[in-house]
Amino acid sequence: MFGYVVRRIAATIPVMALVALFVFSLLYIAPGDPAAVIAGDQATPADVERIRLSLGLDRPFLIRFGEWFWHILHGDLGTSIFTNLPVTAMIAQRIEPTLSLMAITLVFAVLIAVPAGVLASWKAGSFVDRAIMGFAVVGFSMPVFVVGYLLAYCFALQLAWLPVQGYTPLSAGVRPWFENLILPAVALGCVYIALIARTTRAAMLEVLQQDYIRAARAKGMGEAAILFIHALKNASVPVATVIGIGVALLIGGAVVTESVFAIPGLGRLTVDAILRRDYPVIQGVVLLFSCIYVLLNLVIDLLYTVLDPRIRY
Amino acid sequence: MSVPTISRAPERVAAPPELPDLLPPIRIRRGLIGFLRRYPTIAVGGALLLLLILIAVFAPLLWTVDPTALSPARRTRPPSAQFWFGTDMLGRDIYSRVIYGARISLTVGFCVAILASVVGLVIGLASGFVRWADGLIMRMMDGLMSIPPILLAVALMALTRASVGNVVMAITMAEIPRVSRLVRGVVLSLREQLYVEAAVAAGTRTPMIILRHILPNTLAPMTVQATYICASAMIVEAILSFIGAGTPPTTPSWGNIMAEGRALWQVKPFIVFFPAAFLSITVLAVNLLGDGLRDALDPRLTKRP
Repeated sequence: MFGYVVRRIAATIPVMALVALFVFSLLYIAPGDPAAVIAGDQATPADVERIRLSLGLDRPFLIRFGEWFWHILHGDLGTSIFTNLPVTAMIAQRIEPTLSLMAITLVFAVLIAVPAGVLASWKAGSFVDRAIMGFAVVGFSMPVFVVGYLLAYCFALQLAWLPVQGYTPLSAGVRPWFENLILPAVALGCVYIALIARTTRAAMLEVLQQDYIRAARAKGMGEAAILFIHALKNASVPVATVIGIGVALLIGGAVVTESVFAIPGLGRLTVDAILRRDYPVIQGVVLLFSCIYVLLNLVIDLLYTVLDPRIRY
Repeated sequence: MSVPTISRAPERVAAPPELPDLLPPIRIRRGLIGFLRRYPTIAVGGALLLLLILIAVFAPLLWTVDPTALSPARRTRPPSAQFWFGTDMLGRDIYSRVIYGARISLTVGFCVAILASVVGLVIGLASGFVRWADGLIMRMMDGLMSIPPILLAVALMALTRASVGNVVMAITMAEIPRVSRLVRGVVLSLREQLYVEAAVAAGTRTPMIILRHILPNTLAPMTVQATYICASAMIVEAILSFIGAGTPPTTPSWGNIMAEGRALWQVKPFIVFFPAAFLSITVLAVNLLGDGLRDALDPRLTKRP
């Protein structure tokens, strides 16, 4: 078991290195001259040359990658072309809102989606099942900014229950922090809820046909106990997997949600960086999010043995 | 869904023994109508998608005006008989822009679905058949899959000039790993099948095995996957355009129209509403089609209650 944990953690290191290599080599595999694209249409040749030097495009790929990677290992993600500030400092300033948004969305999406999926599988084929699965298809098809605008229009502009836009830091009080994040979290959570609910239903349907479920019914166990203790526990591995994989959707969606709700997080940073073509910042954000994603999935991988004791390594 | 039964032949006719229904036939024999009635989601999704394709193809004939024609005198007019969906900040007719925008979304969706399928198929086949390359290719795909797709597309778009072609390329790159893993899985499970082993033992060359045994079996899961890729590509294109990293702002695409309406959405919500509604309906149509195709093509699911 301990050996497995060590091996599994060790296995993520090459993946992380590959991610870094990919993110870095985008500069070289993108068609055209990235320095000219980043400098923009009005740039003088001197500007282009300055950017080429600051990105290190004048030196060989491997040497440049080695340097860059060495700096990353020391926690240095480079310097912004636009503001000349260290990218790590810019990310540190903006990380709180994004992590808050993602954490709230994750918790509330799982709390809604898993029971919904369980309910749908229990009442498979009924009206409730169809309603939940219908919602899942619609939720999967509504782009996050569409849901965002719809929610903001109904609950913030028309009903004035919640603030329309903006963000209050956690240090200013839990309540205003939470109120500002409710609508973005619901908007961001839609796709995620749909994904988890569908997977939960499919996994539960499989489990509910097993003999031990019939045995539990035969010995007179309550339906709730059967569903949530016997069945859900056995269906938890695919559900946990999809929760982990779905975080990629959350990360992508957060970028847009922050634009819709004017939340000054990493998403805004990315969007501003795109408009200024500030590649080091984009590189840093992509790298950071990929690391979060890989680490989260590592944790879920390690959780498998807790969720399902039959899995032994 | 019930397990399809094979109708029995009359008594005196010699009938071959019934085959185990590993692959229940898609009952096209009942006719197209019967098929569509059996899978209503395919009917609804397909019809909606067909309608949207027709709208995109015949955009110039649908009472549209030039979607890029500026007219500063009538800015941000609400929907009316003259401007069905209103006008935007530069006085352009939103109805015409939305109708023409269907072209961009559908083009991007279909191109990404086809390109990602073809490239993913090649990589997946290589990975499944070339043993020494398998580990390397799959680690590469793991790395690529660890970057959230939208961020990968954003990073690529930041380095290239905004154009529809580059958007297609950026989204395709993010989708390839999923297809190649799918194809590899199919190849690996088929290689274990007796008939493939028999073909290998009989000296069939690898290209022939791929053509005769592997490709037909990848077709069904890949079709389903391609529809989902198409839906997600349309969403990603809209997101990229919305945050300013997608199709060039001069091109009317749904994401661009919404990006332009963003500053005014609290006072002029209709600018954002119409492209958003079209985008949602299009994605919904493709997703419905995908769900229906999955039910129709995946034999394992037909046995579920």
